[in-house]
Amino acid sequence: MKVVGKQVPHDSAIGHVTGKALFVDDLAFTQNELIVEFIASPVAHGKIKSFNSVELAQLDGIAGVFTFADIPGHNLYGPVIQDERFLAEEIVEYVGQPIAVIAGESRKAIRHAKKKLRLEIEKLTPVFTIDEALAAKQFIGVPRVFKQGDFEKAWSTAEHTLAGTFVCGGQEQFYLESQAAIAWPGEHGEIHVHSSSQNPTEIQEVVAEALGLGFHEVVCVCKRMGGAFGGKETQAVIPAVMAALVATKTKRPARIAYTKDDDMRSTGKRHPYKIHYKTAFTTEGKLTGLNLEIYSNGGAGADLSTAILERTLFHADNAYFIPNLFFKGTICKTNFPPNTAFRGFGGPQGMANIENVMQEIALVLKKDALEIRRLNCYDHADRNLTPYGQVVRNHLLPEILDQLAETSEYRRRLQEVEQFNRQSTTHLRGLALTPMKFGISFTTKFLNQGNALVNVYKDGTVQVSTGGTEMGQGLNTKIRQLVADEFAISYDDVRIMITSTEKNNNTPPTAASAGTDLNGMAALNACRKIRKNLTEFASSYLLPPDSGLDPSPENIIFENGTIYDDRSKSRFPENKITFRELVKLAFMERISLGERGFYGTPEIDFNRETEKGEPFFYYTTGASVSEVLIDRFTGQLKLERTDLLMDIGETINPGIDKGQIIGGFIQGVGWVTNEDLRYSDKGELLSYSPTTYKIPNIQDLPEIFNVDTIENPQHKINVRRSKAVGEPPLMLCLSVWIAVKHALSCVRNDAIPRLNLPATAEEILRRITELDDDSKDAAGNSSVDESEVSLVSLPILSAEKK
Amino acid sequence: MRDYLLFYVNGIRHQISGTRGFQALADFLRGDLGLVGTKVVCAEGDCGSCTVLIGRVRNSVMCYEGINSCIQYLYQLDCAHVITVEGLNGGAEKIHPVQKAMVDAFGSQCGYCTPGFVMSLAAMLETQEVMTRSSVQEGLTGNLCRCTGYEQIIDAGLSLNKKNIPKPSKRFNEDAMLADFSEHVSQAVSCEYEEKWNGSSQKVQFYVPTTLAEALEFKQQNQQVTIIAGGTDISVQLNKEQIEPNCIMSLTHLTGLESFEINNKTITVGAKLSWSKLAEHCQLHLPQFAEIIEIFASRQIKNAATLAGNIANASPIADSLPFLYVIDAEIELSRSQPDGSLGKRWVRINQFYHGYKKTEMNADELITKIRWNLPETDDVLKLYKVSKRKDLDISTFTAGIWLKLKKGKIQNARLAYGGVGPVVLRLPETEEYLLDKPLLPEIFQQAGKIARNEISPISDVRSSSVYRSQLAENILLKFFHECCDSRNKKEAA
Repeated sequence: MKVVGKQVPHDSAIGHVTGKALFVDDLAFTQNELIVEFIASPVAHGKIKSFNSVELAQLDGIAGVFTFADIPGHNLYGPVIQDERFLAEEIVEYVGQPIAVIAGESRKAIRHAKKKLRLEIEKLTPVFTIDEALAAKQFIGVPRVFKQGDFEKAWSTAEHTLAGTFVCGGQEQFYLESQAAIAWPGEHGEIHVHSSSQNPTEIQEVVAEALGLGFHEVVCVCKRMGGAFGGKETQAVIPAVMAALVATKTKRPARIAYTKDDDMRSTGKRHPYKIHYKTAFTTEGKLTGLNLEIYSNGGAGADLSTAILERTLFHADNAYFIPNLFFKGTICKTNFPPNTAFRGFGGPQGMANIENVMQEIALVLKKDALEIRRLNCYDHADRNLTPYGQVVRNHLLPEILDQLAETSEYRRRLQEVEQFNRQSTTHLRGLALTPMKFGISFTTKFLNQGNALVNVYKDGTVQVSTGGTEMGQGLNTKIRQLVADEFAISYDDVRIMITSTEKNNNTPPTAASAGTDLNGMAALNACRKIRKNLTEFASSYLLPPDSGLDPSPENIIFENGTIYDDRSKSRFPENKITFRELVKLAFMERISLGERGFYGTPEIDFNRETEKGEPFFYYTTGASVSEVLIDRFTGQLKLERTDLLMDIGETINPGIDKGQIIGGFIQGVGWVTNEDLRYSDKGELLSYSPTTYKIPNIQDLPEIFNVDTIENPQHKINVRRSKAVGEPPLMLCLSVWIAVKHALSCVRNDAIPRLNLPATAEEILRRITELDDDSKDAAGNSSVDESEVSLVSLPILSAEKK
Repeated sequence: MRDYLLFYVNGIRHQISGTRGFQALADFLRGDLGLVGTKVVCAEGDCGSCTVLIGRVRNSVMCYEGINSCIQYLYQLDCAHVITVEGLNGGAEKIHPVQKAMVDAFGSQCGYCTPGFVMSLAAMLETQEVMTRSSVQEGLTGNLCRCTGYEQIIDAGLSLNKKNIPKPSKRFNEDAMLADFSEHVSQAVSCEYEEKWNGSSQKVQFYVPTTLAEALEFKQQNQQVTIIAGGTDISVQLNKEQIEPNCIMSLTHLTGLESFEINNKTITVGAKLSWSKLAEHCQLHLPQFAEIIEIFASRQIKNAATLAGNIANASPIADSLPFLYVIDAEIELSRSQPDGSLGKRWVRINQFYHGYKKTEMNADELITKIRWNLPETDDVLKLYKVSKRKDLDISTFTAGIWLKLKKGKIQNARLAYGGVGPVVLRLPETEEYLLDKPLLPEIFQQAGKIARNEISPISDVRSSSVYRSQLAENILLKFFHECCDSRNKKEAA
């Protein structure tokens, strides 16, 4: 009857397929409820000169227009550095930045009122790219430096060296449910917020601070999110504060639900990066040194940029041992919405960069890239020290590479691909196998905690509340499985309750792939307290008076819904009790049947002074191999085959984990291929809806798609020996991007092709044309002057949609 | 004449008048009926989360199709039956097999797109499609999911093959609806109301004629009227507040314009024939065009949108235009003459467009038919569409290439490019160059260079001008490799 390890359907699956699973904007309107929208800055950088808010507030069906001056508490916030304003004061810093909140009886009323908007803004010079920010010396936080060995010496004594620039664009989270929140005014100035948020505690705290309330006067709940992917880790606070502000000012319930267009235009995305690399290596292909000058485009506010850059530094090695290194990371401040968390959290950019370096080393040495990757891959006994001093333990990286090369027939296919490229005049093929290693834990130590409340009711059923939020990843399903097994009861007798700051306080965001690790353990710890109480009671209750045995809690067994003493099992087979009966009796004996559990991840620590330590509890690893087909005339790309292999420990739910692996990979494929954010040269996002921003659709799957996991008996830690699986598979997408690079390298053999990320058809054709046209040494060119942001000068602003 | 729309939702009858009729179906379902299972994400028909089944009477039978409810306005739904995700299992305790399949296959993660996927699969059951990997992909092209990576949804679709599953519409009493509709369908619908906001007011009207004569008469009297056939573009503009028409005519009941005729190698298509139906016909008679229709749009869009809409919308990147240009199609324009009789004229598509969004059509005219001659055996016809994502994306660049060959040489050539100017362009210099030339790669390489110089594309959200110019050049050599090389080899053999 155990359910851990079983294919239990998603906790809400029946609600999903029947439409009965409710999201924020699906909740029935309450009497008197107001619709909330916002007025956004139309310019990227400017000074607000005038705004007719008073006039707007008088219009038909408008209940109020509120500016920063109406915010009773702080207008300043930020998860790490407090540098963002909920509502712009004098200066606006990006297109889409909220200037005022407008509340109306209907969307129509607001639509008509907005026609009367008069907003005068004096334009100031905007900064959009990393290079512009460097010139203007606009930064966020301070640079971070990771050092190991002596890079300069490795560089000056190297058998071979290579230098270049890696350029990658951003990515929109594109959760299907746009940002949304409802706020209800309560008694005595209290506010109750229902938010689509990965971080109800932050909503609670930030709403309180904005409204000048104590944290105890605000409750935030989140039933579920229609996707989040990091985009609702911090940025859900803005709509929540807007709704709460209206509720406070008008004393009426207030609802905000962004349109997809507004959401995409006003919220932050995955950070674009530019990385200048210098690498030293041996003739055999061993890395001896790596120097990285890493720049991220942070947007107009700090948001989580410092933590994201930190994770880039932690993942700039991906799966490779680098004896001598110097990494320096800097965040540039620009006039875009503050960039924020997105699955991978800075890891993907760092990992893409080193995979690009690996591919180029192979090209210089005219060797197979897999050979280079395998040669540099972290080992077991030695060559396992990361740039930040943590040893990679109990991993299977070399084994994964070898197994996948074998099962995917990498070597045979590589020959076929290269043969094809020598013959075809119309197409190019590419093949690449890339590893993936992702560190699990928040790199900010204090966030690695969770608490849970477990209530056992008199009929033996159980409610569990944790600070973890459900965004589709299956957290609730896994916790239900864990709790059911802990009490040895039926899965159906366990329910996971709405996430609420009333039940779980001071919780971290559900992020860093650590949702199940933290909340699952906290729930188990709560269960274990209850079980201990029940066990003690049962140990005396279950002993027959004439058994001659002493009560022994160690011998009490919970199994298949019953509890018995294993010493008396054979002698007194009827001497057992159901969980339900035991609970009822325990209640009569005044034994606590509700407990809170707490969990803090052990062992982890990191010193930001020395930049050394053990930031990660463990690593989730894997590898992928992808084969692509490119049309030489249009640059269009087709993913022909992908094989994935991952070490995810012992799975709690194979159906859910498989979904995370495939879903993460495909999301990554979007990032490296078609997801292309384009802005006007005034900083307006042009690709702000699915018509122009193309996430993968069902036709973009590889034609052949093999997904597998590998057993890792050495992994003995973490909840039920599982491993986090949320973010890691996204980075398996790098094999697709590198396969494009491989294909391009077959155009001519005397040049290292350049390739920015994403590899859109346009980017690919540009590179093919470059290689075809260029009679001189293409390797001499570099992407150093290329921008990580696509800015388009529009001759006419095309209103064309369809 | 009626002043209300009549339709059913999950078997329940609704009569709607006035301002309530002027809203998207998705908003009506969610707001007026509380059927919040239908989700709205993009409000532009690009994500499929709002997919519902819409049944309309065709030859006295109710035929159901998957439609994006966010861009289907109520005035398009007169005498229709809408089935939403809530209507699949009705009051029954057990969920519908299509829902069960999604549960069992882990087809949902966050669940937001799920009702849309369920309804698209349900639509496939309605037409009793055989579920193969590629048919499921085809059927679900119009549904975006950000969580699952789709594989498990495909598994769900494939599992539906094994069972004998009733059509989702089976559980409703269609006879009563059909009777009700047949009583009403001969009456035109006209609704008028006043919109008053902030001191100004305006009259808003929508009209649903039952005959072409009524439609043309209305158009003559209301020359600024916005015409809705499928509404897949107009409704997006309405949702995004790009237009605010106060007079709308929906061609819902003009089923006479849904014809497809082929005689003497001439194809004549009614203006209101949907892309889905057109694709079915073309697979037989004109595979080159069918190929483009396949990646033209999602199934939901193709079920609603029409060829005439693509023409009248006058977009320089309309996917049908390069084809219609090189096949030298003609458009029938109809109007109501002063004496009340029907006036018609045929205009060649190559003379139809006068500039960006400007056409030959007069304010009192409607497009009623489109016709063209099928290519002959010596003709080579190839159509190209380049977009960021292959399926369901707006074109970056389109091309139509038609060559008439004689003795291995090009006797006549027509080339049309889209996405490289304010209208779809013919390439007279390149066409001229190709005359009398043999089918050799260097000829097409040179033609590409000439073509490139005939255009001056812009940079926009979809692409840079450089990419478009490069495509304009490369596409001719690609054409050579795909269409001429094999022909040469065949002839040599």
